[in-house]
Amino acid sequence: MDVLQAGIGEFTVEDPDELRAFMRTEKRREMVDKVVPEAEAVRRYVKDGDYVSFDFSSFTRGPASLVREIIRQRRQNLWFAAKFTLMESTLLAAAGCLQGIDVGFLGLGSLIGKAVEDGRIKVTEWTNGTLTLRHLAGAMGVPFLPSRSLLATDTLTYSGAKVVQDPFTGKPIALVPAVNPDVGLVHVHQCDVYGNARCFGPGVSPLETAMASKRTIISTEEIITTDDIRKEPSKTTIPYYLVDAVVYAPFGCLPGGAQGVYEMDTEHFLEYMAASGDEQKMGAYLDKYIYSVSSHEEFLDKRVGVTRLMDLKRQATIKEGYH
Amino acid sequence: MICQCARLMEDGKIVFIGYGMPQIAAILAQRLHAPRMIQLYEFGAVGPLPETPFVRFTMGGPRNCYKSLAWTNMNTIFAQAQLGMVDLGVLGATQIDQFGNINSTMLGADYTRPVKRFPGSGGANEVLTQCWRTVIVIMHERRRFVKRVDFVTSPGYLDGTPEAREKAGLPRGTGPWRVVTSKALYGFDEPSKRMSLLGVLRGVSKAEVLKEMEFEPLVGEKVEELEPPTSGELRVLRNEIDPTRAIIGKTVRS
Repeated sequence: MDVLQAGIGEFTVEDPDELRAFMRTEKRREMVDKVVPEAEAVRRYVKDGDYVSFDFSSFTRGPASLVREIIRQRRQNLWFAAKFTLMESTLLAAAGCLQGIDVGFLGLGSLIGKAVEDGRIKVTEWTNGTLTLRHLAGAMGVPFLPSRSLLATDTLTYSGAKVVQDPFTGKPIALVPAVNPDVGLVHVHQCDVYGNARCFGPGVSPLETAMASKRTIISTEEIITTDDIRKEPSKTTIPYYLVDAVVYAPFGCLPGGAQGVYEMDTEHFLEYMAASGDEQKMGAYLDKYIYSVSSHEEFLDKRVGVTRLMDLKRQATIKEGYH
Repeated sequence: MICQCARLMEDGKIVFIGYGMPQIAAILAQRLHAPRMIQLYEFGAVGPLPETPFVRFTMGGPRNCYKSLAWTNMNTIFAQAQLGMVDLGVLGATQIDQFGNINSTMLGADYTRPVKRFPGSGGANEVLTQCWRTVIVIMHERRRFVKRVDFVTSPGYLDGTPEAREKAGLPRGTGPWRVVTSKALYGFDEPSKRMSLLGVLRGVSKAEVLKEMEFEPLVGEKVEELEPPTSGELRVLRNEIDPTRAIIGKTVRS
């Protein structure tokens, strides 16, 4: 198969047999209680230099409290998979946690754009679809998957994709390399203490992210029993053996929403938007919502407050499908 | 612009909806002339009937995904587009050239030293690659209608040579179909694939439109006069979608 074109973007290749060996030895088969405090989960599984991926979005069912904890613990040199992000990448970049971003969508606000313009953050170009397809390849344990996207664009030139002549049809096709993040972060509606987890509503790629990642941390709105899981197995999105840590984090998506549980906090987003183009304001934002509080609990207590929480819960009037 | 965009959404079609303004246009189309149009979202929602009033920022949330036919995920949605199931895609862009190539990545001559960096493809590359037809919504400004985009984020008709897309491996028979601005409507000429002026908004002159473009589009003998928003469209926009005026006139960016 001739390579017709090769993107020059930076990315890491995973040997599928080493990946299998990791999955064999490092992923626990026995059902053990994996509930740990958020700070402990991040301390244990997120290291400087790691590749981090998440699901789903800043507005909806995103692992916002986990991202804040990573910033609070001042991780550095992370690579981030921005496959459907608006806020996570901007916050991590502003906090100095990132060395690079795989761009589906870089993030909102001019600060993150400036960081790329100044060369403070490296980027490799992809698309939301192909970055998510890379997670599927990673989840399947294959080194790449074909796609008809990316072709004939500068996006491809600055990606890590290769164009080959398809050996079956003879047409040019793009191959995108698998990604196996060091850590995947997924917020779920419900799970048991072992990590059998349920996400309700649409989502970008919760299962692919959990499968592809070497370590998966889930944060959850609610912890339920394994009996409940077994009563309705079709509701299970992620089986326990893919999960390394379970963090109990009600309202963990804030300022985004968890479908059917609470609405996103639009006022907070407007405050973030106002800060996202200004270094000083962003610094103040990070101080206010992350550094000056020691945990998600303290964030809820001191920066959101019971009245606001009750209001956001009350706003979640649409329940159909989310339980 | 919202209304022009909505008018291009046909009833009974499967339509990929991008973030922001296309969402509002889709609701408008559904309420007025396209009740059986299926909205498709990259994060997996199929066929929702979004709740109004429309809430700013909402996309994957319950109000926008209200009464969907199915909730899937991104790989499924883009696979269905690649399969040929998506009739129309609707996108925003930062820059566009005469062959409909779009840029939403960066400005500047040197990629390694961007003068201005934007968010990048998002799902735009998939949409312009996989949907049968794509509508591009863009502000009518000279700096946006350029001879050559600084960066081809998503493919139009490339260099305009015959079958350029097919030769590159892009799905046959796809590509940009219409470009909608606040003042004009464009299509793409056959076989030159050059952008051509199809219509100008009533009260706006052709010269006014062309002045705000770096390249000269083809201008047919018959350029349609585009009707401004009708009272019916305004009623839905103002009474149902955005009664507090939080969105209209504010979401139309890049």
